[in-house]
Amino acid sequence: MSRATIRTLAAFATLAVVVAALPAFVNDFRAQQFAYVGVYLVALTGLNILTGYTGQISLGHGAFMAIGGYTTSILMIDHGVKDVATIPFALVVAGVAGVLFGLPAARLSGLYLALATFGIALATPALIKKFEGFTGGGAGVNLFGTPELTASLTPVRFLGLELNFNNWLYYLCWTVALVGYVVAWLILRGRTGRAFRAVRDSETAAVSSGISLTRTKVLAFGISAAYAGAAGSLFAITTTFVNPDTFPVTLSIFLLVGVVVSGLGSLKGLVAGAIFIQFMPLWSQHVSKSPGAPAVVYGTVLILLILVLPGGASGLIARLQHLTRR
Amino acid sequence: MNRKLMMTCVALVVALALGVTAAIAGTVRGGSDPGITDNSILLGGTAPLTGPASQYASVARGAEAYFKYLNATKGGINGRKITYKYADDAYNPAQSVPVTRQLVEQDKVFAIFNSLGTAHNVAVRPYLNAMKVPQLFVASGATTWGRDYAQYPYTIGFQPSYQAEGWVYGKYLSRTAPGAKVAVLFQNDDYGKDLLGGLKRGLQRSKVKVIAAQPYEVTSPDVASQIAKLKASGADTLAIFATPTFAIQAFQFANKLGWKPKHVINNAVASASTSMQIASSAGQNKLVNGTISIQFLKDPTDPKWKNDPAMKLYRTIMKKFAPSANVADPLHVYGMAAAWTASDALKKAGKDLTRESLRKTLDTFTATGNPFMLPGIAVKTAGKDHYPVEQMLLQKWQNNSWNSFGGLWGYRAS
Repeated sequence: MSRATIRTLAAFATLAVVVAALPAFVNDFRAQQFAYVGVYLVALTGLNILTGYTGQISLGHGAFMAIGGYTTSILMIDHGVKDVATIPFALVVAGVAGVLFGLPAARLSGLYLALATFGIALATPALIKKFEGFTGGGAGVNLFGTPELTASLTPVRFLGLELNFNNWLYYLCWTVALVGYVVAWLILRGRTGRAFRAVRDSETAAVSSGISLTRTKVLAFGISAAYAGAAGSLFAITTTFVNPDTFPVTLSIFLLVGVVVSGLGSLKGLVAGAIFIQFMPLWSQHVSKSPGAPAVVYGTVLILLILVLPGGASGLIARLQHLTRR
Repeated sequence: MNRKLMMTCVALVVALALGVTAAIAGTVRGGSDPGITDNSILLGGTAPLTGPASQYASVARGAEAYFKYLNATKGGINGRKITYKYADDAYNPAQSVPVTRQLVEQDKVFAIFNSLGTAHNVAVRPYLNAMKVPQLFVASGATTWGRDYAQYPYTIGFQPSYQAEGWVYGKYLSRTAPGAKVAVLFQNDDYGKDLLGGLKRGLQRSKVKVIAAQPYEVTSPDVASQIAKLKASGADTLAIFATPTFAIQAFQFANKLGWKPKHVINNAVASASTSMQIASSAGQNKLVNGTISIQFLKDPTDPKWKNDPAMKLYRTIMKKFAPSANVADPLHVYGMAAAWTASDALKKAGKDLTRESLRKTLDTFTATGNPFMLPGIAVKTAGKDHYPVEQMLLQKWQNNSWNSFGGLWGYRAS
C-alpha cells in the first residue's frame, strides 16, 4: 500500500471513531441534527461524483431524493416492509431513474444540462401531487407510529446495545454515510474514477483515449442518483413524514451549494458541506429573525465563503496539509 | 506526520470538551412538566420566516408582540412571564418536523402554539401527541383538527373550519337566493374540498343547486378553462374556493368572458382587502362589487374599527413591541387573537399548570370577549365538539372595502 492510501485510511478511521463517539458527548436532540448531517453527506457524496468529478452540473438531485423517500414510504405503508429494508430498494429505484434520465441528458452539457435537471426538480412535486392514489397527494404520508418504523420515540435494541430513538437514527444515517463514503472512494480511485475525471477535464481528450462519453456520463448519473435515493430514504425515515413540499426546488439548490462549499472534485471536505446545509439556516436565524434577515445572512456568508475559500472546505484542508507537511 | 497527529488530538479534545459541557447543560431542571417554572412559561411554534409563504410570518409576530405586551403590563399569566419561541420552517413540512422536535427536546417548550400550515401540523401531530405536548390553536382551517380530536386529544385548531365556512355560504344562498344555480371553482386539495363539502351541506333540502364544480391544481398556471366551463354550465352564482392568486384570476377571466353571475362568493383565505383591490382592477371589474365572504376577526383597515378600543390597543402594542411591522396587515390581528385565547386558557388551567391540566381545560372551554375578534364571537369547546371558533359574520365588498352585515352565523359540526 502506498503512503497516500495509508494516510487516507487513517483519516477515515479517525472520522469513524469521532462519528461513533459523538452521541456520547452531545445531548439527545443534537444527535438527531447530526443524523441529518449524515443524510446530507450521502447526497453530497453522490452529487460530488457527478458534478465534482464528472463535471456534470445537476440542479435536480432533490428529485432523486424524492424518488428514494417515496419508495421507502410507499413500501413501508402499502407493503409492510421494515424501514431499514427499504433503503436498498430506494437506492435501486433512484439509480434506475438516474440512468434513464442520464441517457438523454448525456447529450447535454454545461448550462443546458443544469436547466434540464432543474426541470425535473420543478416537475417532481407536481407529479407527486398528480398521482394522488399512489403517493398520498398533497396530504403526504405519515410514518410516525407505524409498525414498520423501527423506532417512534421508543428505545431500540441493536447488537445487544440499547439505543435511544435519536441515537438510533444517528447511527443508522452515519453507517450508510460512511459506507457510501468508502464506496465512493473505491470507485473514484480506480479506472472508473479516471474516466470520470477525464470527461470533466476534456471531453475531446477523453474520447480520443477510448472513453465512451455516453456510457461514462450515464454511469455517473446512475451512481449519483442512487446515492440521492439512499439519502431520500434516510430523510423519510428520520423525518417520519413525506409530502410533495418535503422535496422542494430549494433542496436541489441547497445540495449544489453544499457540494461547492465542500469543494468540487474532492471527498475531503464533504462533511463540512453537509454541516453547512444542516446548520447554516438555523444559525442565520439565530443572528436575526426580522423579515428577510435570515436569507440575507445566509447569502452573505455564502458569498464570503466562496470568495475566501474558492476551493471549498477541501481546498482549505489541502492548504492546511501543505502547511503542516513543510 | 507527528504534528498532524497532534493537531487531530487537539481537535478531538476540543470537540469532546464542548460536547461534555453541552451535555451537562442539558440536564439541569427537574420537577414538573418541561418549559414551566414559577415565573415563566415557554411556548414554541413554527412559522414560515423565509420561503414562498413568508408573508404568513406576520401571524407569529403578532402573537409574540401580544405576549410581550402581557409580560410588560400584567406580569404575564398567574405570575409567569411568557416567552414565545418561534422558528422558521420555510413552509416546508420536512423542516417543521425537526424544528418542532428541537423545540420540544432541546428548548423544552411547555407547548407548541399556533404553528402555521395544514401539512406542517399534520406532520408533527402524531409526534406531539405521543409526547403528550399540547399542540395549541393550530393556524389552519382544516377540518381534521376538530374531527380527529379523539385520536389526537392534545391537538386543537383555532379558526372556523373550511367546512363551517362553506356551510355558511350554503345557508346564506338557500335563504337569500332560492332557485340559484351555483358553479364552484375549487382547489383540488383538502382546503378546496372541505369548502365545497360544507357548501353542499349548507344547501341540503334547499332550492339552490350546485350544477357545476371545477377543480384546479395549485401547480397549474391559470384557471381560464375552468372558468369557461363554469360559465357554459349556465350557472348564475359563482363560488371561488381558491388561494389569492387564483381567486384574482377567476374574477378577471369571468369578467373577460362577459359572465355576470348574480352572486359571487370568495372564501376568507382569498378575500384579504389587498387581493380584492387587485381583482377589481381599480374599479373596472364590476363583478367584484357585491362579493360575499366571511370574517371572524377585526380588520385593521376597516374604518369601522378606527376608534374601537381593542384596535387602538392593537396599534399601541404593534408600535411598541413590533415597531418594524406593517400595522395594516390583518395577519397580526390573527396572531394576537390566538395569543389572547392561549393566555386565557393558560390562566384558566390554574396556578398548578401542567400539560395535562391545560388539555383538560381546553376539553371544555369557553372564552368570550376576545377583543380582536368580531363582537359576540366565542371560542368554545365541549363534549365531542372540538372546533373552537364556529361563529362568523358575512361581509360584502362595497366601495372598495369589506362591510359586514347581518348577525352571527353559528355552525355545529355534529
